[in-house]
Amino acid sequence: MISIFRTAWVLILGLACLTQSVVLAQSTGQNGLSRPPAGAAQFTVSGYVKDAKNGEGLIGVSVFVKEAGTGAVTNNYGYYAISLPPGSYNLVVSFVGFQKQTIPITLTTENLRKDVELSEEGRELQEVTVKAEREEDNVRAIEMSVNKIDVRTIQRVPALLGEVDVVRAIQLLPGVTTVGEGATGFNVRGGNIDQNLVLLDEAPVYNSSHLFGFFSVFNPDAVKDVKLIKGGIPSLYGGRISSILDVRLKEGNAKKPEVNGGIGLIFSRLSYERPLFKKADGTARGSFIVAGRRSYADVLAQPFLTGDLKGSSFYFYDLTAKANYRINDKNTVYLSGYLGRDVFGSDFGFNWGNATTSLRWNHVFNQKLFLNTTAFYSNYDYMLDSDLKRKEENKNDYFRWKSRIINYSIKPDFTLFLRNNTLTFGGQSIVYDFEPGTATGASLGSIRTFSLENKYAIENALYVGNEQQVSARLQLQYGLRYSLFSYLGPGEAYSFQTDVPPGERRFPILSQTRTYKRGDVIKNYGNWEPRFSAKYELNENSSLKLSYNRLAQYIHLVSNTTASTPLDVWTPSTNNIRPQVADQVAGGYFRNLKDGRNNTYEVSVEVYYKWLQNQLDYIDGADLLLNKYLEGDLLSGRGRAYGAEFYVKKNTGLINGWVSYTLGKTDRLVDGINGGNWFASRFDRRHTLNTVALIDPGSTGRLKRWNFSATFALSSGTPATFPTTRFEYQGYVVPHNADNLRNNYRIPVYHRLDLAATLKGRQRTGKRKDDNWVFSVYNVYARKNPFSVFFQQEPATTIDVPRSPELGDTRRLQVTNNTQAVRYSVFATAIPSVTYNFKF
Amino acid sequence: MQSNTQNILGRLMTQIGWPQKRRSAYLLALLSTLTLAGCETVIDAKLDQGPTQLSVDAWLTDALGEQRIRLTQTAPYLQNGAATPATGARVGIRDGKGRTYLFTDPDNDGFYSWRPTSPTDTLGRIGETYTLGIEYGGQQYVSVSRMNRVPAVDSIVFREEKVNPISEERGFQAEFYVKDFPGAPDYYRIRFFRNGQLQNRPNDLITVYDAGFSSNGNTDGLLFIRPIRQSINPERLYARNDTVRVEIQSITPEAFFFLAELRTQISNGGLFATPPANVPTNIRNVNTNGPAATGFFVTSAVRSRTARVTDEMIRK
Repeated sequence: MISIFRTAWVLILGLACLTQSVVLAQSTGQNGLSRPPAGAAQFTVSGYVKDAKNGEGLIGVSVFVKEAGTGAVTNNYGYYAISLPPGSYNLVVSFVGFQKQTIPITLTTENLRKDVELSEEGRELQEVTVKAEREEDNVRAIEMSVNKIDVRTIQRVPALLGEVDVVRAIQLLPGVTTVGEGATGFNVRGGNIDQNLVLLDEAPVYNSSHLFGFFSVFNPDAVKDVKLIKGGIPSLYGGRISSILDVRLKEGNAKKPEVNGGIGLIFSRLSYERPLFKKADGTARGSFIVAGRRSYADVLAQPFLTGDLKGSSFYFYDLTAKANYRINDKNTVYLSGYLGRDVFGSDFGFNWGNATTSLRWNHVFNQKLFLNTTAFYSNYDYMLDSDLKRKEENKNDYFRWKSRIINYSIKPDFTLFLRNNTLTFGGQSIVYDFEPGTATGASLGSIRTFSLENKYAIENALYVGNEQQVSARLQLQYGLRYSLFSYLGPGEAYSFQTDVPPGERRFPILSQTRTYKRGDVIKNYGNWEPRFSAKYELNENSSLKLSYNRLAQYIHLVSNTTASTPLDVWTPSTNNIRPQVADQVAGGYFRNLKDGRNNTYEVSVEVYYKWLQNQLDYIDGADLLLNKYLEGDLLSGRGRAYGAEFYVKKNTGLINGWVSYTLGKTDRLVDGINGGNWFASRFDRRHTLNTVALIDPGSTGRLKRWNFSATFALSSGTPATFPTTRFEYQGYVVPHNADNLRNNYRIPVYHRLDLAATLKGRQRTGKRKDDNWVFSVYNVYARKNPFSVFFQQEPATTIDVPRSPELGDTRRLQVTNNTQAVRYSVFATAIPSVTYNFKF
Repeated sequence: MQSNTQNILGRLMTQIGWPQKRRSAYLLALLSTLTLAGCETVIDAKLDQGPTQLSVDAWLTDALGEQRIRLTQTAPYLQNGAATPATGARVGIRDGKGRTYLFTDPDNDGFYSWRPTSPTDTLGRIGETYTLGIEYGGQQYVSVSRMNRVPAVDSIVFREEKVNPISEERGFQAEFYVKDFPGAPDYYRIRFFRNGQLQNRPNDLITVYDAGFSSNGNTDGLLFIRPIRQSINPERLYARNDTVRVEIQSITPEAFFFLAELRTQISNGGLFATPPANVPTNIRNVNTNGPAATGFFVTSAVRSRTARVTDEMIRK
């Protein structure tokens, strides 16, 4: 293991050196722009770009040096650095939604620190901004298959029950689907939900849902930036094979205290942010934000609950907090935390929740070298209890069960800003502690405990990557990541039968069970993960992009239900479960169209093909919970996903928004399922169309206090397995598929229209309060969209039949052997809502 | 509407063995609170046709007297009506001692029966292994099953309870007591009858591993756990003077798995459905390339107890 790491380090350092020499070699320049000869003295201008209003660092701001024809983009902390020969320059700092600034600088004999504050543009433009992103970003940036959504946009999209939601907004983007509304998580380019790395300030979130999947755990009042990376994933990221959802929290207002809140039908929200350690000159060394939400349906219902249900709990809450402190010009620390929980139950109950903490330290070694070190802790756990209140009468009969996954990690990420190259390198180490299940049960006083052993693992990774401006038109990003996963003791490792027909349970061969001590390596898996992206600008308004990446994933969500449940268990790769690996190639054409005004439409077309290895599947009747020999119920297969994504976005005007259309297909091939032939995965949707329209009547006229929005979503039905025949057994009618096919049908098409209107409060002079009312209707035309179609024997009814008096009762169960097809819809009606938001 | 929400959570609770009564109460509360109105609608569907196959419903017990095996043909899924009998078959059982029992269907209704020569005689004996042989449509089918041990039902008691916590209606909840044998794993099925009528909603298909729901519970040798003890209740509980009969049947591990799968497949809808799949069968065509059969052969020792909802049986 150590030797592998040594090799990896040598390789990475070697690559770094190689890149350096490439930099030197190519910096002689050949693109016609004024470039100094190699070896000329270079100095660096660097600094942070912040929002003038609240001091938040701005991510992805373009800092362009006109005279040198070069520039940089601020990183996730708002930091930029550009190397230049001595001279006088103008820095053009621009970001959509903010006023462009041109800053004259002179580099003489030393590096220059230049922090910049950008002010938002006037109201009109701000309100119609679809995203906060630098202009022309879609064409000029090397990244492809990336979608960013500004929180202000997310807040404008009509929301279910008025609750603004990050994950639901993500589902309106190209390449993103879900198995159905109300389902946990989302599927990216044909990948499973456990293949998305959901990061909250760099700490992974294992279950991003409240109330199964109706709401996500991200409090929009505390979120600053949301970025979804579906392809061309840089070497900085690893550990999941389909996408990265990078959610960054606000830092908190560094200028003045601010309160945001809202009252809706499900949640009420409140957040507070303010500067910390304010100095005499008004600048602050730090700031913080605390934001909380709680559902209160249970509070409203409490008076109506009587008897056993009195004191029932059903609520969910979350608390998000972040603080930052600037120690000096070179060091800043950030501390972020999330704590959320869903609780349901009266006597019986269950609850689940995530807790994450991340501590980050930004260190500027010198003007060119930036280090961010993140240490995080993430915990997901759930618990069931048949006796939530620990009543005396139940002390001899109960059942309790808990399960969790914990991980700790440290992750140093270096960025080296060189001329025309931005080199990133670093590593990550994650320690996993899985508790698959501990159950305690009592039956009339006899107490039994049943626990599955905890599982331990460590995942290490090293990476290096470089973003290189090869010429004015050609930009490359390439890198390599090596990940090494060790499944560790203490624990027992099982061997399973190999001579079982495919698709059937493999029983353990107990004589081959091996016991490992603490720290023993049960199984190692290592993967080289190359990454590559290229961008070629055809002209000022269009570019072609290409990418390839390989990703490896060592943890798996064990779930064979249509929608994942909160009780699904994460499991590490073991001696019996191989890591998931995905290879993806993607190509795209990006173009901006102008119609009189600059950059009015952004258009992109992307195609992708993805190969998936070692995809988990399950035998029929698999026993996935509290099963010591779970691995014997698992199957492994291959997957493939391919498709095309079309995206048109209008950034300005009375009506703006986007239309996305995805044509996609995702299949699986598993020995033992569907006769060993390819079958459509359960979240496969051929066509997905999403339209988002944001309408702003402007700052004058009768509707000046209003704005409106609408979304329309249309997608093909998901696949389903329908029976061909039936037979009767012991009075039950049993469905049967003569060829034992999987997903041989599709349920009907899904479509839905949502509308929302926002009424802004009157602006009163002298008052700092800002408020609005949001009225929305979800599923406007009340379509009973199918979530699934299933088949059943007509449900039994109880009928009244006269009987002899001494039998006392006249009820009789009536059972028929009629069968029926049933469409299940999660929502059958239009769902109106109203939310009041305020800010002061 | 209520049943949909039950789909959402019912699965989770079944998995951990939560009693039916509280489950629905909790779900009702959840539903009324969240106003998330799911909906089930019966729709028309066009389904592929499959070939007709032989279906075997063979459940033999150690009870005295007649034993029956039902043979039918599979039918298109949405074709309602009684199953077409599979007639003209030759059906026999052979036990480990080489004794054979011939099952005949003189009235051609698909029910093949065997009658002992003496009314106190029986076919089934605990510990014996039985082989079923069927000749039908030119094919030979075989199946093997063992008859396992079964404990006696100790008692049945009743308590007056609300039908569910948010209802004003009251009824009598039955609870039966059985103790699992210590040692080797035991598998059982529970059946219950209200005033002589078998209760056979999908939820009434109760299987027991030792004293719990599954092998993951470590309940060997215990008194059946409470969710199982209270599983023998109709939706609105019992009324005064009702008679309740509870049967415990021993089954094989294969039959346990088959019944669990059958229960899953006949109530598999909603958010948390598992992929529909064929239930397993232990009926094997001797010619492996010949048409397969469906159904299951189970041999089962049965013990039962009957009680009546009267004052002396009602616990406070």
